[in-house]
Order: sequence, then C-alpha cells, then structure tokens
Amino acid sequence: MELETLLYILVSGLVLGGLYALMAIGLSVVWTTIGVFNFAHGTFVALGAYIAWQVSSSLGGAPGFLLGAVVAPVALFMIGYALHYALVKPFERNPNIVLLSVITTLAAASIIESMIQLIWGPREKQIEAPVNGNLEFAGLSFSAQDILTFVVTLFILAALAWFLKRSRTGRAMRAAAQNREAAQLMGFNVTHLYALTIGIAAATAAIAGLFIGSIRFINPTFGVDPLMKSLIVVIFGGVAHFTSPILAAFIVGLIEAFSVYFFGLYWAPSILFGLMIIVLLIKPEGLFGFQRKTL
Amino acid sequence: MKYDPPFQRTNGFPPVLILFGIMLFLPMILTDTYSRHILILVMIYAVIASNWDLSLGYGGIFNFAHMTFFAIGLYGYGLLAKVIGINPWLAILLAALVAVAFAALLSIPILKLEGVYVILVTIAASQLVLKLIVSQSDYTGGTSGMVLLPRLTVGDYKLNSDGRIGYYYAGLFLLGLSTLFLYKFNRSALGRAVKALRDNKYYAISRGVSEPRMRLVTLCASAFFPGLIGGFYGSYVRVASPDVFGLGFLTITLSILLVGGVSSTWGPILAAFLITVLAELLGDYGIWRDISIAALIILVIILYPGGLFAAVQELWNFADKNKTALIAWYRRQYKANARKELTGAEEKMIETRHGTVAVADTKTGAKSIVFIHGNSSCKEIFTHQFHYFSDHYRVVAIDLPGHGVSYNGRPEEDYSVQSYAQMVAEVVQKLDLVDPVIFGWSLGGYVALEYAAAGYPLTAVSISGTSPVSVFPDDMPKGYIPSPHMELAGKRFHSRYEKQKYALNTVGTDKPEAKMFRDAVWRTDGRAREYVFSKLKTIDWPRQTRLLQQGNIPFAMLNGPEDPFINHSYCQSLKYGNIWTGNVITIKGGGHAPFFMKPVQFNHQFRMFLKSLE
Repeated sequence: MELETLLYILVSGLVLGGLYALMAIGLSVVWTTIGVFNFAHGTFVALGAYIAWQVSSSLGGAPGFLLGAVVAPVALFMIGYALHYALVKPFERNPNIVLLSVITTLAAASIIESMIQLIWGPREKQIEAPVNGNLEFAGLSFSAQDILTFVVTLFILAALAWFLKRSRTGRAMRAAAQNREAAQLMGFNVTHLYALTIGIAAATAAIAGLFIGSIRFINPTFGVDPLMKSLIVVIFGGVAHFTSPILAAFIVGLIEAFSVYFFGLYWAPSILFGLMIIVLLIKPEGLFGFQRKTL
Repeated sequence: MKYDPPFQRTNGFPPVLILFGIMLFLPMILTDTYSRHILILVMIYAVIASNWDLSLGYGGIFNFAHMTFFAIGLYGYGLLAKVIGINPWLAILLAALVAVAFAALLSIPILKLEGVYVILVTIAASQLVLKLIVSQSDYTGGTSGMVLLPRLTVGDYKLNSDGRIGYYYAGLFLLGLSTLFLYKFNRSALGRAVKALRDNKYYAISRGVSEPRMRLVTLCASAFFPGLIGGFYGSYVRVASPDVFGLGFLTITLSILLVGGVSSTWGPILAAFLITVLAELLGDYGIWRDISIAALIILVIILYPGGLFAAVQELWNFADKNKTALIAWYRRQYKANARKELTGAEEKMIETRHGTVAVADTKTGAKSIVFIHGNSSCKEIFTHQFHYFSDHYRVVAIDLPGHGVSYNGRPEEDYSVQSYAQMVAEVVQKLDLVDPVIFGWSLGGYVALEYAAAGYPLTAVSISGTSPVSVFPDDMPKGYIPSPHMELAGKRFHSRYEKQKYALNTVGTDKPEAKMFRDAVWRTDGRAREYVFSKLKTIDWPRQTRLLQQGNIPFAMLNGPEDPFINHSYCQSLKYGNIWTGNVITIKGGGHAPFFMKPVQFNHQFRMFLKSLE
C-alpha cells in the first residue's frame, strides 16, 4: 500500500471519527447524566438534517447552510427538552427505568421517523455544502467540506467540554448526574437539568445531521445508522470520561475506514458489530472505562 | 418488569381455552380470504410476542434480538427450501433449530452482563445478523430480499387453497403448541427457577439456581417457536425481506407484548388480536398506523403499565370484592334465623373504627367469654360453645371484618391482626364486658394474643390451633407443618378446588351439616386473607411471647393432635409462665378445630379452665 493511500484512509477515518464523536457524545452525556439510553438519538440526527435541509434549501448556498446550522440545533434542543417530559420523566423513580425508557425512546424514534416521512416524503435529499472544491496540502488533495466538518466538530466538542466542566449550568448537570438527591437538596431543579441534558444532546445530534446531510444523501430511515454507530462508539470507549467516547469514535472511524478499504463496504459494519461484542465480553465498561456511570 | 399488586390467581388457562375454541370454529363464519389472512397474521404475532414474554417478562432478560429469531426462521426457511431445495416442512423445523442455535450463541456474550448492556449486545447481534444477511446478496437477495419461497403442501393439497384454510389451521396448531409449551414451561421447575432469578437474583443463586445456565435455557426456549413461525411466515407470504429487522416489526410486536401485559402469556395472545386488527384497520393510513402504534406503546407504558392482563386482574378484584359483599348482605337480610338457631344468641351490628362488625351476644351472665374465629371462617363455628356455656357465662362471638356477616373492610386499615385486636377491644368496651376471657382460634389466636399483649382488659387468654411465634418469619416453619394448604391461608383468590381443600382442612370434617362453615371461605373477602398475611411481619411478636413467658395472665392452649397445620412438639417445647395444667391440652380427634369437632371434650376442659380462674 502506498503512503498516499494510507494517508487518504487516515484522513477519511478521522473525518468519520469526528462525526461519530459528535453523534456519540450526546448519547453518552444522556447515559451518564440520566442513566437512560436514548434510542431516539439516531432520529434526532435525521430530524436535524431534515430541518437544516429545509432551511438551507430555501435560502441556498453558504448563508443557507449557516442558517440551517443555527435553526436545526435550536429546534432539536427544544424538541429534546420537551421529549424528556414525555419519555423519561414518568419513570424517574422507577427501578426499571432502563428498560422502560428504551421502549419509550424506541417508540418515539418510530414516531419521529414516520413524521419525517409524512412531512418531507421518502425521497432522498442532500444539503448543499457551503464550501466546494479541494484543498491541496503537501501534494495531497482533500475535500474542503471534509476539512470544515472535522474542524467544526472539534470546535463543538471543545465547547461542550468547556460547558460541562466550567459553566455553572454544566457543573449543575454533572452534580445531578453524580448524586441526584444531593443536587436536589442544593436547590437544583433536577428535572430541568435532565431535560436540558437531552436538549443539548439533541442539539449536537442536529449538528451531526447537518454535516452528514451535506456529505451523503438523507432519507427518513437514515437515523438507524448513526444510532448504531453511536452505540458502538459508546460501548467501545465507555463513558468514564468525557473524552472516552470521543477517542473511541476516532478509533471506530479509523477501523471503519480501513476495513472498508480492505474488506469492502458490506463487511465493515459486521466487523464493527463483532468487535463491539468482543469488547463487551472482555471489558463491558469500555476500553477507557473503569466505572459504569460517571461524567 | 412487574405490575405492582401481586397477582395470585393461579390459573390463566380457561380464557385461552375459550379463545382457542372460538378460533377453531371461526373459519366456518369467516369464509373470505382477507379475514382469514388477518387471523393468520394474528397467530404469527401471538407466537412471537408470547414467546418474547418468556425472556423479557418471565426471565427479565432484556433481549432485543427476539425478532432476529423470527428472521432467522424466515431466512433459514428461504435458504433451505428454495436455495438448497429440501422439503419445506423439514426446512421449517431445521430453520427453527438454527434459531435456537443462534439463541445459544447469543446467550454467550450476555451470560454475565446486566441491564442496558444486555439490550446493547442483543441489538448489536441482531444488526450483525442483518448485515451478514444483506451482505450475502447472491443467496439472500440483499436488501431486496428473497421472493417466491415454496409453499407448504400436504401431498398435492396446497395449504393456501380453499381460502387459506390449511394455513389457518396449521397456524392455529403452531400457536396452540407454543402456548401449551409456554404454559408447561412456566409451571415447571425450570420456569420457576427463571422467575426466581428475575424476582430475587441473589436469593435464587444462593438456592443453587445457576444464572448463566438459566439465561441459556430461557433464550433457547424462547427462540424455538419464533423460529418455527418465521419459517411458517416465509411459506405463507413467500417473501423474506430485511424489513423483519426493522423498527416497524419490532414496535408492533413490542406493542402487542406491552398492551397484553408482560409475564402473562395469554395477555400477548389476546393483544395480538387487538393490535393486528387495529393495525389492519389503520392500514390505509400508512404512516399514521406506525405513529399510532408507537404512541400506543408510550401511552400504555406510562398510564397503565400492566396492560390488558392487569385490567383483567383489576376487573376480577372488583368482581370478587363485590361478590363477597353481596353474599354478606344476602345473609344479613335473609339468613338471620338460621344463625340464631346455631348460636341461640342475639345478633347485632356494632360500629367500630375498623368497620361495622356482626356480634352474637347471649347477654346474660356475670363473666363473659369472647370467641374469635380463624381465617376465612365465621362466628357460628362456636355453635357448641354457645349452647354449653350460656348457662353460666355471657358468650360473645365476633365476625371479623371481611368475614361472616360483617362488612368488608378497607384493606389497608382494617385487615391486620393488630386492627382485629383493636376491633375486639372496641366491641368489648361497647358491650360493657368486664375483663372477659378471650378465646382465639387459629388466626384468631394471634388476635387474642395481640389483644392481651396490647394491654386491653381481660381475665385470661386461651388459644387453639395457633403456634406462638417469637421471631418472625423464622419461627413460622418451626411452629407449623409445611403443607401446601398453608399457602392458601394468605391467598387472595382461591380456585374452587383450593377453597374446598382449605375449608376441609380448617373445619376438619366433610359432613353435610358442617357445610355452612366450609362455605364461609366463599364469603370471606380475599383481600382480608392477603393483607392479614402480608402484614404478619408488622406484629410485635416478641411482645406476645414475653406475655406468655411472664405469665401475668392465665393462659390455656387446647389443640387437636390431628391438626394438619400445628407442630405440636414445637408448641410443647415453648416456655410458658402461667399455662393451665402446666402443659398444652390435647383433645383427641379434635383436628384443627377441636371445639367444633370434639365439643364434649373441649367444653369439659374449657369449663375446668374457666373454673380454675375463679
């Protein structure tokens, strides 16, 4: 294999990894904070992509994309915030919350998917990319959209990390995650914080949807794939640190890029799922994990 | 996942039997192909959902790869019957075995996992199978699936001819077989072990139930019939497509399971009718169908998590509660004379803070004796004592709340040994009985001891058919002989057979003249049994045994040696501070109710005890 090919695979793996990180971080934050696995996360990605498409196609070009990048996360934030009250809050004190919320979020995923089909129809769509052409770098050419995606993704992840670690609300969220009762005693409105968590997760999912929609075609059922990828990433890396799923996302992205090259498009998902099962067998808390539930 | 109130009805079988009876003759009425098609779909969904209940409901294993068993059956049938070309009937069976093999493989990674990780692995595994099937497009048709799978035939007869009558009965046969299997499995030792692991994992493990082995068994057991019905489905619709892995199939099956009620087997079978017919009615609305089914799932799980099964149980509760109240009302209205014949005493209703209770009172006599009957009995069981003691004593007997002709009480407030004792104290006070002798039989014995221990006024206390307990529940197995009828004492719903067994064991005779006392079980509010027994642990037991050991109050214990419940050597081994004659009195041939079975001997002994008090 030539060095050039290797570099191309590496870059595409990293871009993929960035997107996966963006998708998985929402799932991981919700899991660590509320203790719920949100199976509607994939459809958040899809819904975000469709809203962004709607906004950007009406305006067109780079300004449209920019407007979509603002509207889609805001809309999804509100939807996510509201959905907490419908899907998770009724079971807050139920010992079976894990199973119950899996069922309700799956049902919600089905509803959102059907809604998308109802509103936008089954035809495939693509969001117009804000930048075109290639960037030349050291004799290699990379798609400008890929680079933009990668840079923005890193920026958003950093912003989210800052928000959770430094901002007052973010710290309150972490407090609620670590000890719900204590946080409540300190006067935090835990239900609001939980809803906020799902809202933020949905907003990051929308941004991921925006970028995926500008790279690939979107259709109403395309949320399944991001959901599965995020699941793999979260399991792979565990949720011990904020960075664990991010690192895992890059590893998964690279593995996928390499296995697509070596084994073909059809085998890549099977390899990833097989790897995920192996990781769960050996280290259920994830590669970088040492505990089940912290932030 | 469990619905909160404990359901103790033993038998869920009759409704299913009726359902199968109806389904057997339904094709005579529904002759058009379309309605039969829907019924066949109902059977298919019923098999999938009721078997999923085995792992999700009974086993508590969050297996989300259940649809994969079905899909493997479907694709297995397609590959075996079409690509390889073996006999379709054999192909269905082999495909089901492949599904079981997959279940066994699937159980390996989840043997030691918990909670959400089980969900994740099973979802990943089902996606893995999907990707593998889609990737082998040469054989499986990839994303577009396989078409024109072979039909099932018997000789030259095609099962789909004559309005699909063959498929209808084949499907019904499979559903019947699957239901019978589930019914038998849930009641076998294996099924009990599976449930024990779900309800109290560490206790079950400490009793020698192997969790990994049970998970393997549960998954394999829940995979066979979905695999079988998958092949059947393939032969029926003649298409195998990756849609069966999709969200649509999953949500429909899940909604059937949840609407029907988990851990119920027949709940999902009934719900399969509702949901499939609903889905077909909404079929024209396409997407709205998916939305309404998903919304139904959310609504059921938030508003009524027990589903149909819980609804039926609550209906049953309601009916049972009213039935017992109605019997009591009827007896109050029309049977007063019959009761008066038995007791020879005036009956009156006395209002207490634990409800209005019926009290028989002979009114004359300086010293009084209060008789308290046992669980699921009535005050007339003391008929021989009324006749024998009323010459010298004022004899009083009380129907406990929920028993005899007393009113049914409020379960939380009125049904417990402590509140029974409070009720007795209130009756004693209202009738101006000065320091009565309290006699309690069986459960009434605990009421009598509690009455004495709580410091209410009395001269002496006497019990029969009761083992004093100091450490609860540890002393229970020592004080009583383990017998299946003991379990019935705390059961809300009895079957007819159980009622007869229980009545026979407590009253001790099957003579026709004692029928009335056996019938008391039919009148008793089932909630009284359940609540009193579940609240036994709240009694201050050491206070009762302290009372007996200190011996400040004269005490007598009269038991029948043939009592099927009491452990006599335990009763004799206890230390009593002031027991009459120094030991437990045994009344030969007395059974559990010596005062009723051997009234002459009992009354003689009891009068001696009363005399010793003077």
